[in-house]
Amino acid sequence: MSTKHAEAATRFISNKKEESWHNETLWMVRAKRDNMAKDVPEWEQLRELSSQIKMHTISHLDKYAEQFAAAAEANGVIVHWAKDDKEHNEIVYKILSDHNAKKLVKSKSMLTEECHLNPYLEQRGIDVVESDLGERILQLDNQPPSHIVMPAIHMTRQEVGKLFEVKLGTEKGNSDPTYLTRAARQHLRNEFMTADVGMTGCNFGVAETGDVVVCTNEGNADMGTSLPKVHIVSMGLEKLIPNHKALSVYSRLLARSATGQPVTSYMSHFRKPREGCEMHIVIVDNGRSEILGNREHIQTLKCIRCGACMNTCPVYRRSGGYSYTYFIPGPIGINLGMLKNPKEYSDNVSACSLCYSCNNVCPAKIDLADQIYRWRQGLDSLGKADKMKKMMSGGMKFLFTHPSLYKTALSMAPIVNSMPRFMIYNGLNDWGKGRELPKFAKESFTSMWKKGKVQKKK
Amino acid sequence: MSSKNDILNNVRRHINDKYDMPDLDNIAAIQYPDKLEKFMQMCKAVGGDARLLVPGEDVNEVIKSLYPEAKVIASNLPEVSIATVNPDNVDDPHDLNGTDLGIIKGELGVAENACVWVPQNVRQKVVYFISEYLVILLDKNEIVNNMHEAYNKLEFNDYGFGIFISGPSKTADIEQSLVVGAHGAKGVMVLLR
Repeated sequence: MSTKHAEAATRFISNKKEESWHNETLWMVRAKRDNMAKDVPEWEQLRELSSQIKMHTISHLDKYAEQFAAAAEANGVIVHWAKDDKEHNEIVYKILSDHNAKKLVKSKSMLTEECHLNPYLEQRGIDVVESDLGERILQLDNQPPSHIVMPAIHMTRQEVGKLFEVKLGTEKGNSDPTYLTRAARQHLRNEFMTADVGMTGCNFGVAETGDVVVCTNEGNADMGTSLPKVHIVSMGLEKLIPNHKALSVYSRLLARSATGQPVTSYMSHFRKPREGCEMHIVIVDNGRSEILGNREHIQTLKCIRCGACMNTCPVYRRSGGYSYTYFIPGPIGINLGMLKNPKEYSDNVSACSLCYSCNNVCPAKIDLADQIYRWRQGLDSLGKADKMKKMMSGGMKFLFTHPSLYKTALSMAPIVNSMPRFMIYNGLNDWGKGRELPKFAKESFTSMWKKGKVQKKK
Repeated sequence: MSSKNDILNNVRRHINDKYDMPDLDNIAAIQYPDKLEKFMQMCKAVGGDARLLVPGEDVNEVIKSLYPEAKVIASNLPEVSIATVNPDNVDDPHDLNGTDLGIIKGELGVAENACVWVPQNVRQKVVYFISEYLVILLDKNEIVNNMHEAYNKLEFNDYGFGIFISGPSKTADIEQSLVVGAHGAKGVMVLLR
């Protein structure tokens, strides 16, 4: 029995060239991250502090959320509260309708993705324009992001070139990244100039000052909020941090972990609306407050959405973001999906080799792999355990608890070595798919030991 | 109002163990023997540039020689005589589209990552982003080692917006191939004086 992840991964790896490009490119980002970390002697201390700040903040989240909202309101910002995705989308649409807005220009926000905001607004006649280059490429191609920081990482330049020929009228056959980026710059400049409302996500919400902090390399969040008269911020509850001292820790970790840069080109602090303009913040729960009560998985709320766990994950790198059934892939996505709906997203928990690399790169020290392990232990009670594996483990348990049977089986095992291939590599043996099985030794260790064949190394 | 209460009550109901805030006042953060040199080196590393003005050198002459083709130059700085537009006098920020060069003032430079702290100091902040090229004037004595020092020192003003700018606008969204000049400035020069 294959999971949906395994089936989709099989399709992804059927294109060997693209698979190895994807693997190597993400590994290069991981290596850049390592170099950045090595340049900061206090790196491990920062990770530990980041983890502690988040645990403190989320375990006092009621206090910080109220403090943040009060500070923002004192700054002249209009604060809204949304229990779920539906309420979030209604609030955003209400703000747009109040201003007779036709065009909304957005910068990157995984939360609006989570809330399915774009289709909701489009159905109501709003022209929604994603302004991050990767997100715009995918929007024009009608695809979701395959990575949370590098959304179009799965596409080749030729594919982007072809898409732009059709959508933006670029030269035929020109897939030079600089040429394509310039074309997008011009196209999106027009969108910025004609947008009625600008929307951003939020990397950090500073409780003490009410600041909304947004980090980009392109400057799209700033273009989108410096021209139109209305700025809407969509912010998940867990984005809160206490103060600027805490922010200084994250400002050193985020970009280094995400893309291997010392910092993003722009790190904007939005405190008040622009002169004569409006600024709205929508604070969204959508299941976050319930995760607070889940001791086994509370640490997912520490996530700063850097994507480092994806870049390092051997399964993500070799199966691609679309192999996962939840909209956030990789180790953090496996866990967030299970928290959203375990029955629906349990196919992803097998997409992990328990190598623990994610735990070791996470700038908030989330116990990602431990959580995945725990989800797997609960699969049987969800009725989602793999039947074949269940039967095999039952068999193995019987075998290992009956020594004489085990010994007999072991002495007969080398027979497999001389079996014809079709008997070993067939549909029934999942362990023989995509790999060569090791040869069984002619003699077992026990028997060698008894015959005195095991010698101490000189 | 009811959603706010519902959310906060739900949060309170679900909180189990409480964790303390760690001490953030004693982080042994990186220091550089020569902060200015490191800052200038990082400006180049992030795709921008930095130049130390020598005493007596005129800012306007230096900028003119660096950007000989710039026609529309936006600045509200009194010492910048080559400006053709003052963004403080512009009512509609859209009118600043087409600016070749923006000349602005930074307050603080960070050696570890080339960040320059710019608290909004013009009426239309779009000039920081919409200009094809950006020049930031910065006092060479205002360089700090790291972001902790920066956040301890930086200030906001009544505009209620502040930004760290580190080099030009960039993207690697097409095949991870780095392209400078995505939406904002295609080049950033920090002039230290």
